Amino acid sequence: METIVELKNVTKVIKGRTIIDAISFKVNKGEVFGFLGPNGAGKTTTIRMIVGLMDITSGDITIGGASIKTQFEDAVGHVGAIVENPEMYKFLTGYQNLVHYARMSKGITKEKIAETVELVGLTERINDKVKTYSLGMRQRLGLAQCLLHDPDVLILDEPTNGLDPAGIREIRDYVRQLAREKNMAVIVSSHLLSEMEMMCDRIGIIQNGRLIDVQLVQEFVHGTEVTYELEVVPSDKALKLIEASYPDVRANRSRNGISVELPKEEIPKLVKKLVSEDIQIFAIKEVAKTLEDRFLEVTSEKEAVTRG
Amino acid sequence: MVNLIKNEWMKVFKRPGTYVMIGILIVAISLVGIVVKTQQKDFVQDKNWEQVLKDENTALKQQMAQSRTKTEKQFFKKEIAINDYRIKHDIPSREKYSVWSFVKDTSQLILLAGLFIIIVSAGIVASEFNWGTIKLLLIRPINRTKILLSKYLTVLLFAIFILAILFVFSTALGAILFGMPDKAVPYLNYFNGQVTEQNIVVHLLIYYGLSSIDTIMLVTMAFMISSVFRNSSLAIGLSLFLLFTGGQFTALLSMKFDWAKYVLFANTDLMQYFEGTPMVEGMTLSFSVFMLLIYFALFQFLAFYVFKKRDVAA
Repeated sequence: METIVELKNVTKVIKGRTIIDAISFKVNKGEVFGFLGPNGAGKTTTIRMIVGLMDITSGDITIGGASIKTQFEDAVGHVGAIVENPEMYKFLTGYQNLVHYARMSKGITKEKIAETVELVGLTERINDKVKTYSLGMRQRLGLAQCLLHDPDVLILDEPTNGLDPAGIREIRDYVRQLAREKNMAVIVSSHLLSEMEMMCDRIGIIQNGRLIDVQLVQEFVHGTEVTYELEVVPSDKALKLIEASYPDVRANRSRNGISVELPKEEIPKLVKKLVSEDIQIFAIKEVAKTLEDRFLEVTSEKEAVTRG
Repeated sequence: MVNLIKNEWMKVFKRPGTYVMIGILIVAISLVGIVVKTQQKDFVQDKNWEQVLKDENTALKQQMAQSRTKTEKQFFKKEIAINDYRIKHDIPSREKYSVWSFVKDTSQLILLAGLFIIIVSAGIVASEFNWGTIKLLLIRPINRTKILLSKYLTVLLFAIFILAILFVFSTALGAILFGMPDKAVPYLNYFNGQVTEQNIVVHLLIYYGLSSIDTIMLVTMAFMISSVFRNSSLAIGLSLFLLFTGGQFTALLSMKFDWAKYVLFANTDLMQYFEGTPMVEGMTLSFSVFMLLIYFALFQFLAFYVFKKRDVAA
């Protein structure tokens, strides 16, 4: 896989406070990279540095091999971005907005503009003033704006903020489609964990300006152990039995019965035991840990380590 | 660069405010036209105008002999020289009110035009920050210096555009209301003790240009404030305040302090070297031009330096 964006020890100090502390990571072509962190962790600051809106105090960022510090024009030419809300000129029509941005990059034809408008599904309303657009339409116009020059890297800061479920889904589909079909690298930041889970291939977790982990989404979500939920009657007896047979395993009462963290191979054995003890089994479900659980887990672990 | 200027031009002209400004300017010119027209009396050329001028000159000469300051003496000298020239070349001092007189009168509206140009200039950078569009503007493969330069050039083009409207519309309206002069009466220019004739249109264009200098300086200042503080209200407020009061304040200062000559507004009126007397004694045309260039460079340096260095966090 080909690296397109690389951050090397990027640090940002504002008025003596370290906002971003030596962050390094790489993003490859065709990959959706999620940038996850609580509010104020430094996601937006990092993104602003990647697109050159903010100066880098130390370290460097390269995009397509060009440094954003020293070869700004080359580097940023690879990038299409929406930073926070897609703010467009409200007194212009959607089309005029696109023409405005098309004039600022080389070689964007009228056909290309029309094609992009078609892609984001704004053909009907493109000649209306932006102030008449809904938030979802503005978001789509924002997307059109960053796709005009066929960038290698798409950067979306909180792309689903304020959108309804349909809008969120739409954005998610675009993002996956672009990464897959056009081999674009997509960097998405969000604090909406469920969104990231569905959209991203890899996730970097940022907290207090430090990148504490970069993992594949599957690994991240599943980890090694899985939780199973048992719907059994009588549950007291079952719980005792489980505690007796697996003393090291965490088992507790949950809403629907009992939840246990067990390796997959142990499940048939457990079922056998339960049946032989005359316990009725109604259901056994694998409960995938949500990104949220993992996220809170990871961030609190790291916090404990740093404090410890 | 042309594309960038096209963009800025589009953003200026797709806003209704711009048309309101142009409308107000045209209405103002028309009002001046109507007022002048209704107050106009039939023009009768005084047959004895040569004699009147001669009498005036004798009076002026007496006054000159009595006056003590150098500037006053120069003023009388100039008046006498021009009157002599008129007598010698048969150019009456009073002439029929014509299109050119009207254009000269409406040139007072440069102040109003200046106000509009300042509004545009103050908004052109600050608005992008207010709208949040600055983020999308600065992540294009174009460096910030070029973007800011295109904005400044757009302001200058807009200034030329507005002044051109003022000049052309005044000329057109003047020609309709007052007619073209029967014969081209030249403007008498007094410079370095010499009286020369100047084509009236050329004179008016120069007059416009010179009158616009303080406007352009304030426009540049507004642009600088807009870029440094990202605040269009501050830029508009401060620049307009100075546009209307700067001259008077400096005049007050200059009565007491010699250093007033270093103040911007002591130097913006270059007409003082052609038609009047300098605000502070000892000031020369080249001194003023030099001061103007220094101020201009300072404003531009601040605007570009801060804009280039700024972390965009809006």
